[in-house]
Amino acid sequence: MELPFDQMFESMPCYLSVQDRDLNVLAGNRLFREHFGDCKGRRCYQLYKNRPERCHVCPVERTFQDGKMHSSEEQLIRQDGSTVSVIVNTTPILNESGEIIAVMEMHTDITEIKNLQTRYEESQARYRMLFEEVPCFISIQDEDLTIVDANRLHREAFGNGLGLKCYEIYKHRKEACRPCKVLDTFRDGQVHAHEEVVTKNDGTNINALVLTAPLRDLYGKITNVIEISTDITQIRELQSQLTSVGLLISTISHGIKGVLNGLDGGIYLVSQGLKKDNQERIEKGWEIVLRNIRRVRSMVLDILYYAKDREPNWDTVSAMKVCDDVFDLIKDKAYDLGIEFLKDFEEKSGDFEVDEAAIRSLLVNLAENSLDACRVDPRKKHHRVIFRMKGAADWIIFEIEDNGIGMDRETREKAFSLFFSSKGVTGTGLGLFIANKIANSHGGEVSLKSEENRGTLFTIKIPRKSTMKPTAEQAEKETEATEIGGSSNGHQEDSAGH
Amino acid sequence: MAIRKTVLVIDDEPDTVTYFTSLLEDNGYDTIAAENGEQGLIRMDASMPDLITLDVNMPSMSGFLFYKSVRDDEKFRDIPIIFITGVSHDFESYISTSREVPEPEGYLTKPIDPQKLLSLIESLIGATG
Repeated sequence: MELPFDQMFESMPCYLSVQDRDLNVLAGNRLFREHFGDCKGRRCYQLYKNRPERCHVCPVERTFQDGKMHSSEEQLIRQDGSTVSVIVNTTPILNESGEIIAVMEMHTDITEIKNLQTRYEESQARYRMLFEEVPCFISIQDEDLTIVDANRLHREAFGNGLGLKCYEIYKHRKEACRPCKVLDTFRDGQVHAHEEVVTKNDGTNINALVLTAPLRDLYGKITNVIEISTDITQIRELQSQLTSVGLLISTISHGIKGVLNGLDGGIYLVSQGLKKDNQERIEKGWEIVLRNIRRVRSMVLDILYYAKDREPNWDTVSAMKVCDDVFDLIKDKAYDLGIEFLKDFEEKSGDFEVDEAAIRSLLVNLAENSLDACRVDPRKKHHRVIFRMKGAADWIIFEIEDNGIGMDRETREKAFSLFFSSKGVTGTGLGLFIANKIANSHGGEVSLKSEENRGTLFTIKIPRKSTMKPTAEQAEKETEATEIGGSSNGHQEDSAGH
Repeated sequence: MAIRKTVLVIDDEPDTVTYFTSLLEDNGYDTIAAENGEQGLIRMDASMPDLITLDVNMPSMSGFLFYKSVRDDEKFRDIPIIFITGVSHDFESYISTSREVPEPEGYLTKPIDPQKLLSLIESLIGATG
């Protein structure tokens, strides 16, 4: 069966038209006429572009010029004013001599596809915006732990690390961490959570809560892992205040045990005295009971004092005396561990204005840290810790040097972070954090130099006259404020006393 | 009449010393007291005790150091020693890491149970008085 050409032309489900060299539309199929109106005597650009002149790039003209088929993407305006996106295809119509006498133009409606494409692009942009603006550090990693994408906060904190390994940019390490939660997620497809201390580009450390989750392709295969980290440094700092109190309580629990023992002793003497009608024993026992009750009261006041953010208790003390006290406290422990403990103090170092108990605790912390570094080092037969002190014009400078295990770069960078410990289960992650905090509260600083397997040198600089100490005027204001703020408590205590 | 046994009480806390010496004397023991390890060694040179109760954290010479000196000294090494301390974890970590010294005969934490202390002493050196 032979179908007539004009019937096929009429029925085609697209816009079909035939144009001459002057772009006059010679014929249009039914759909074309329905949407663009009567075409006779009108030019294509008038019909579906609403233009008074020809278009700059015209596929019909190009086909007339080179005799080839051309295609382009256009937007047409229907006679009802609506627009339609189309793909245009042109093909030459030849006479018997092979000359181009007209060009057939076919427009295929792709409006739906265009709309979908636009919506897809909008949705992509929206998801990208969410990814970029989420207030967490987000990175996408592949199986080699290479960062293939990262959001804005991540780039700002860690630099443009695309193409680098996660452990290089977070930890400044040369090899992957063990265990690695990203690899765990690749292995089991589960969400993993853990806490890390990571180093930002500016050198500051943050405590981060890290979550990892799998990203799968259409077939369910894990192609990447998304790592979302939240900065919890502030929470950790708050926790540190609570922990300091906990630490204090644990420290004084030793004292409390002693007090309880003393009370038991006092009660024993009183009861034995009563039994034997021995007045001297009763009095002696009662004295012990009273003394130990006083000790309990003083301890409770200490706890309350430390529970608040403790201000240094400023006093002018001899640097030499502080060092001698610390040396005496540590030397037995060093002896027990078989570590040589040496001192090198400048006798004329003079005085400095500090919270003596706090500075002593700082030095004991660092010295104990050095002993630990020697204790766990199996490589050397002889270990020693040298404790030095010298006075400069405005500073007292302490040095504690050991030949213990030393620290790698990661440990060095995180040494002063809260809860970071390189000592496994035996470390609390508190010692160096507190030491640094004490130095800072005096306007001083703690720095360290360390090399793996060689040893560590801590340098502590404390100003002779602290810039952190409130001036006489400030102190007076603070006292006034305390008196005003504390007056009601004072009354309560008074009335309780009566 | 049985010979009275002597216990050396070493503790830097005077109330504890008073308590332990009174308790022991009431139960038929003679006592000597010292406020640190160094003083303890001096007392032992003057009069040999049958047993020692020993605190850990003390100035001048800690309990650990005293313990090591006594165990290293042929003259004293067989005297039973009971550690009595408030810092239990220090003691435990010392005992678990220090292989050069044998374990002590006894270990109690403060505040002590007086009956427990007396039974422990009796089991080590027998009743007295």
